[in-house]
Amino acid sequence: MTSEAWRPGSAGWRRPQTGLQKLVRLDVGILTLVAAIAAIGTATLYAGAGGSMTPWAEPHVARLMAGFVVLLAFAFVPPGVWLRVAYPAYAAALVPLLLLPLVGTEAMGARRWLPLGLGLAFQPSEVMKVALVGALAAYYQALPRDRVSVPSGLVVPLLLVALPVLLTLKQPDLGTAVMFTAIGLSLMFLAGVSPLYFAGGGVAAVAALPLLLGSLHGYQKKRLEVYLDPSSDPLGAGYHITQSKIALGSGGLEGKGFMMGTQSRLDFVPEKHTDFVFAMFAEEWGFLGACVLIALYAALVGLLLWRAHRAGTTFGRLLSAGAAVTIFVYVFVNIAMVSGLLPVVGVPLPFMSYGGSAMLSLLVMLGIVMSAHIHTDVDERRSSTR
Amino acid sequence: MRPPPRRDKQERGAFTRRLLVLGAVQAAAFAGLGAHLYGLQVLNGRRYGTLAASNRVASHLLTPVRGSIVDRHGEPLVVGEEAYRAFLIPTLAPDIEQVVRLAARILPGISDSDIERILARARRQRPSEPILLGADLDFEMIGRLGLLAPQLPGIEIERAERRRYVAGATAGHVVGHVGNVEAVALDEDPVRMLPWTRTGRAGLERGQEARLAGRSGRVAHEVDARGRIVGRVARVEPQPGEAVVAAIDTGFQAEVERQLSEHRCAAAVVLDIGSGDVLAMASQPGYDPGSVAHGLQPDAWRRLASAPDDPLLNRATTGAYPPGSTFKMVTALAALEAHVIAPGQAIACRGAYHYGGHLYRCWNRSGHGSVDLVAALRCSCDVFFYEMARRTGIERIAALARRLGLGVTYPLGIDEQSAGVVPTRDWKRGRSGRSWLGGETVLAGIGQGYVLTTPLQLAVMTARIASGRAVLPRLVIDDAAGSAAAAPPPPLAIAPDHLALVRRGMLEAVNAAGGTAARARLDRPGVQLAGKTGTAQVRRGSGRSDDAPWELRDHALFVAYAPAGRPRYAASVVVEHGGSGGSVAAPLARAIIEEALRADPAVRLPVAPTSAADADRPARPKRQQTHPGGSG
Repeated sequence: MTSEAWRPGSAGWRRPQTGLQKLVRLDVGILTLVAAIAAIGTATLYAGAGGSMTPWAEPHVARLMAGFVVLLAFAFVPPGVWLRVAYPAYAAALVPLLLLPLVGTEAMGARRWLPLGLGLAFQPSEVMKVALVGALAAYYQALPRDRVSVPSGLVVPLLLVALPVLLTLKQPDLGTAVMFTAIGLSLMFLAGVSPLYFAGGGVAAVAALPLLLGSLHGYQKKRLEVYLDPSSDPLGAGYHITQSKIALGSGGLEGKGFMMGTQSRLDFVPEKHTDFVFAMFAEEWGFLGACVLIALYAALVGLLLWRAHRAGTTFGRLLSAGAAVTIFVYVFVNIAMVSGLLPVVGVPLPFMSYGGSAMLSLLVMLGIVMSAHIHTDVDERRSSTR
Repeated sequence: MRPPPRRDKQERGAFTRRLLVLGAVQAAAFAGLGAHLYGLQVLNGRRYGTLAASNRVASHLLTPVRGSIVDRHGEPLVVGEEAYRAFLIPTLAPDIEQVVRLAARILPGISDSDIERILARARRQRPSEPILLGADLDFEMIGRLGLLAPQLPGIEIERAERRRYVAGATAGHVVGHVGNVEAVALDEDPVRMLPWTRTGRAGLERGQEARLAGRSGRVAHEVDARGRIVGRVARVEPQPGEAVVAAIDTGFQAEVERQLSEHRCAAAVVLDIGSGDVLAMASQPGYDPGSVAHGLQPDAWRRLASAPDDPLLNRATTGAYPPGSTFKMVTALAALEAHVIAPGQAIACRGAYHYGGHLYRCWNRSGHGSVDLVAALRCSCDVFFYEMARRTGIERIAALARRLGLGVTYPLGIDEQSAGVVPTRDWKRGRSGRSWLGGETVLAGIGQGYVLTTPLQLAVMTARIASGRAVLPRLVIDDAAGSAAAAPPPPLAIAPDHLALVRRGMLEAVNAAGGTAARARLDRPGVQLAGKTGTAQVRRGSGRSDDAPWELRDHALFVAYAPAGRPRYAASVVVEHGGSGGSVAAPLARAIIEEALRADPAVRLPVAPTSAADADRPARPKRQQTHPGGSG
């Protein structure tokens, strides 16, 4: 078996299985954690609507179901296929990002949405997150170990990261650009790129910071200013942060109780069902509830990292770790933003926030991770996970 | 052909190490989030809890209805009248500036700087919070505003109440007026911070503020982020102010004011001797409180405040005048008490008195001859009282003056009161650092020099001499039943036979031949008036002649009580620079006492105080039929 470990589509992965076999081998741990978080999200959206499944909780559940079906479909496809389509998929994901400035719809000063007709729209940057992880994983799967840290081996992954980063900065979508950077750099680090590069890059980034600040859009600058001093404009741009912090803080240790969150119920919390859903949740469930939720996310991230550790191929490892990093960045940036630790950038909380694009892309990513998991036999033998 | 297993293992190890580093960083980041949330939710939870509560609860004060002021018969002096307030609610106005500028053309008192202020506020505050454009608006203005309503989106009208001074200028000084609140102390009712709240600035409006103002209520609404009311949290009804019953009789007061109006500056007080009720308290020139109360006519206020004779001044309680000869009763009683003269003992008056190298003249330059105490009061002999003062000494005179109510203020219910001056050695040393001179005692003996009294004090003094009791003036009737049954005031610590002598002197001054106050004599059979003239020099050597400039003429004073046999009314009259007390003040006092005896205001029972709730719909009791009067 090990003889062909570096050939995708062959020995690293298990031979073709029946659908039932695949179903049995689904990653129950990850699915359970996702389901738990999604259930909390549904309950919070239910409470946020004043105890009603409409307008948010019901579509949220429906999207979860649809997303689960997509996840299954992606999981059942052998990972060799994903390895082969990684680059074409990346290229395909780049096209809408390029198109966005031309046909995107504008919301709150940024063109992030691409209309699909029928009143549907999606965020191309969400698709790109999956494609980026896939492309990087595929690249390192093919790259000989000794070339990972040489400069010529850095060109392609840096390009893979830089293209979407620059395109999203142009939208402008600072949050997503930061996410692409974090995901890309994390995967390169995991793939074995020497820490010296990261140190050098860090120094360069600090040096370039003034340039970056100079190129920020007006509303981005305003948000940064307000982030540094939210009370400077309590009814204007600082309103989001101030009200969100009041909601969070007034939750106290034990929270105000299910459906008792006055701040969010009375609409003081902005975007309470999307980006600021954590404020609504933590107002009702308090610090203890927040800890439980963060623990669930940490468990999900940890489990994905564990799966990466156990995976039989570089592709599988980086896919799993990429999913872990993506979810981590989402959660961290979102909660830090809602609690006033980071400036307000439009990043949703995975499986909690109302909205389809981010959730679907994460479920797709998990589907591909599971595809590797389902079809792997090398490590399954060594470990006895079941 | 393929990597050896050892190398694969090595690579796996490297990956796992980096995975561990990444996992550790992520765990640390999550732990950091947790710590931040701990600080936010647990350590600062209470603070944010308070913020959340103030966020969602919009509290509004409910303005209480101010109590009315009625006279002793329930005649309204000032009542609450329907008025309106206009607000701007910025969120409802598409173009705030245009709306404000249009409204400013209709509403009074909105200057360009006010418009700037309003616009600045509208930008600063929550857009749903109303901004006051005008208070105390009358129906006409609201009507004009209503005509333009389609062009004035965002302007809201609220029903309110404003003061209506029903009696006009009558008893203006007693009633006083309201004005804007200037400073609010922390422990005061927060309603005082509202821009339309008026507070008493003078008279009973000010003195009885605590009772008139009432207590604010509060309504707390739960609001959402857009300021829409979602539900009511709590409502505490405002407590209306009490009605205040003034002791005065409006009709009588008006008559007294009419009598005084012939003079440039004058004051008069009439007391009911039995109860101490201030039946009339007039000060000339007067003013109409309604003209300054609403803050809408700043010009009217400025005109009044800078008018030459200060119409805002209540001369009856704050005007401090040298009492002149009306003080001679005090000197007489002090001398009798000090046993420096026997009741029938006579002193020779040759028209002048020598003391300490100075010459003190009697008003009668040719002298009164031999006069005893009663005769000295009758003809107002100065020499007799110079000698009495010298013999008695200033300290004993001052002590007796205080017993008669001079040199002190009373618990009257209004703040405008002067204590006047009853000089003593200590008083002078404390004031100027100089020691008392004997000649000053001599001057004080005839109510000149340092002695200063208010018309109210003179009326109280007269009531006390007439009744022999420590009558206290009462301007606010707390409850009618209590006053009717109230025990009479305690007797004065003055020997009754001394008082009888002084009363006799006052009776003879009016009714006997040679009395200085013959022009105060009543025409009524069987009813006599007792009184004493006073002609106070404004400064040494001021003339009594009518050709002297007004400011230098003497003050004319008169104190009186009637009926002499069974005293019921005590009065004091002061005419500033009026000339001689006997010729100017005495006839005035006579007319006033005549009117008192005719209308007999004290006989009619005062009304019981009612709450402001009742005063809202003022049940005007018909004036009771005039009682025949016991002494008619």
